[in-house]
Amino acid sequence: MSDTNDDKDVAADGTGIVAPDDETPTWRERKERTEGLSRLTYEYFERARREDQDLRIESDYVERDVLAFPTWPHEMVRNLALTSFFVGMIIFLAAALPPHIGAPANSTQTPAVILPDWYLYWSFGLLKLGPLNPELSLLGGSKLMADRAYGVVANIVVVGFISIVPFLNKGAARRPVEQPFWAALGVGGVVFAFTISALAVKNLISMSSTLLFDLAFLLPIAATCISYAVLKSMREGYMFELNRRYYRLRPPK
Amino acid sequence: MSLERKDEHDHKGWMQERDLTPVESIYLTVLMWLDKRLRIVDYLEILENLYYKVNMQMPKSHTEQYNLDNKFWYWYPLYALGSFSTIAYVVAAVSGALLGFYYSPAAAGASGSPTVAYEQITFIMTDLNLGFFLRSLHRWSAQVMVAAVFLHMLRVYFTGAYKEPRELNWIIGIVLISLTMVFGYTGYLLPWDQLAFWAGQIGVEMALSVPVAGEWAAQLVFGGFTLTQSTLQRMYILHVFFLPFIATTVIAIHIGIVWMQGIAEPH
Repeated sequence: MSDTNDDKDVAADGTGIVAPDDETPTWRERKERTEGLSRLTYEYFERARREDQDLRIESDYVERDVLAFPTWPHEMVRNLALTSFFVGMIIFLAAALPPHIGAPANSTQTPAVILPDWYLYWSFGLLKLGPLNPELSLLGGSKLMADRAYGVVANIVVVGFISIVPFLNKGAARRPVEQPFWAALGVGGVVFAFTISALAVKNLISMSSTLLFDLAFLLPIAATCISYAVLKSMREGYMFELNRRYYRLRPPK
Repeated sequence: MSLERKDEHDHKGWMQERDLTPVESIYLTVLMWLDKRLRIVDYLEILENLYYKVNMQMPKSHTEQYNLDNKFWYWYPLYALGSFSTIAYVVAAVSGALLGFYYSPAAAGASGSPTVAYEQITFIMTDLNLGFFLRSLHRWSAQVMVAAVFLHMLRVYFTGAYKEPRELNWIIGIVLISLTMVFGYTGYLLPWDQLAFWAGQIGVEMALSVPVAGEWAAQLVFGGFTLTQSTLQRMYILHVFFLPFIATTVIAIHIGIVWMQGIAEPH
């Protein structure tokens, strides 16, 4: 024992690095000795690994080595073909429908039509929700926010709602028939995107602007209700089929 | 026979005792020279690994395993929208870089007479060989990208592909669609024509109407409360410097997560 210690002392080659011996802790031991967050991380990973292992042992899923489509060349050639077809389509569009450039910028002359690109119409339409901005009697009939700020807030609310959808709609249902409510909400949202875009370009549409404003909200609601009814009845048929198959296989006694 | 220990790593001697052709010996010399300095051996292993991976076959997907192709094939175009938007992004990047050779973001003002930016767009469209097509290609690939991104989001929504393990990627997707629209908006302002100017005006007003941070945001993004040269300069730098880096990184993360989690296949 003292021999090895002596060796260590003598073998100072300037690095101070000593070969691991029996006393040297393994990585596992080092991790077990840690404290605080790193200790927690270590424990969680150990648990997760054990959980995975247990699930793997329990499951009857066989990892097959019989495989499908080869990546090269089959998949690659298919991908290249699709990509070049798609790029070709863009080139065709670009050649057939070239853009145009308007008059140079002039701050003294407001054009009759001010519009962003088509994909921002919905956002532009949400800026025109002034009539919905409540006039609070508490504030003596004045509005809490200016109409413009209200429109900006409407944008944030819409985008925020879309981003929390995964946390509101849980469960294993994937098809629209399996979740009529959320699918109908989606249809309503799509229709609203179109109607609010129409509201954004209202000076191009020959319709009274109050009627257009009302339609912008009534049409999505109507679309939601109709698609909800349709999907709900489709689900009845779907469940009927499933049940029939089930009871054919296992007839009631 | 000398008493000296033989050097096992005497590559020169090893080369001499083998009867190599000139091509072989030159190849080996270069390889050794490089390997001594760069340790190519380590990387060769990775390359070899990659070679075998390229020849690997993908495991059967859900639809293949249960033979659902005959029922679902007509949905498959909807499952390609994500890659279509990526391809359109690449086309827009290439054509945009080419346009960048000729465009310069200088606007003396908005007096109604053509400014430098406007002149450059006119030059690209009328004098430059293939310039008309180049601008058209850039514009259309951007339009197609936005359209594909919207439809991609609808597909993900209606097939419930945002559920349990994929919530994070849904949120990243919303960041991406917003970035795409900001990309489009900043690009829309660059020609500095009437449409661009008044769209910019709306942008400034939107920024200013935000309650607390409005003026600060207008200063930061538009470089002031009215549209000037600095507005165009900022839109340009956003469009060709900040957004490309940010969007490319986020797209890489988005696709990487899809790769790790696998696509949510039809059921």
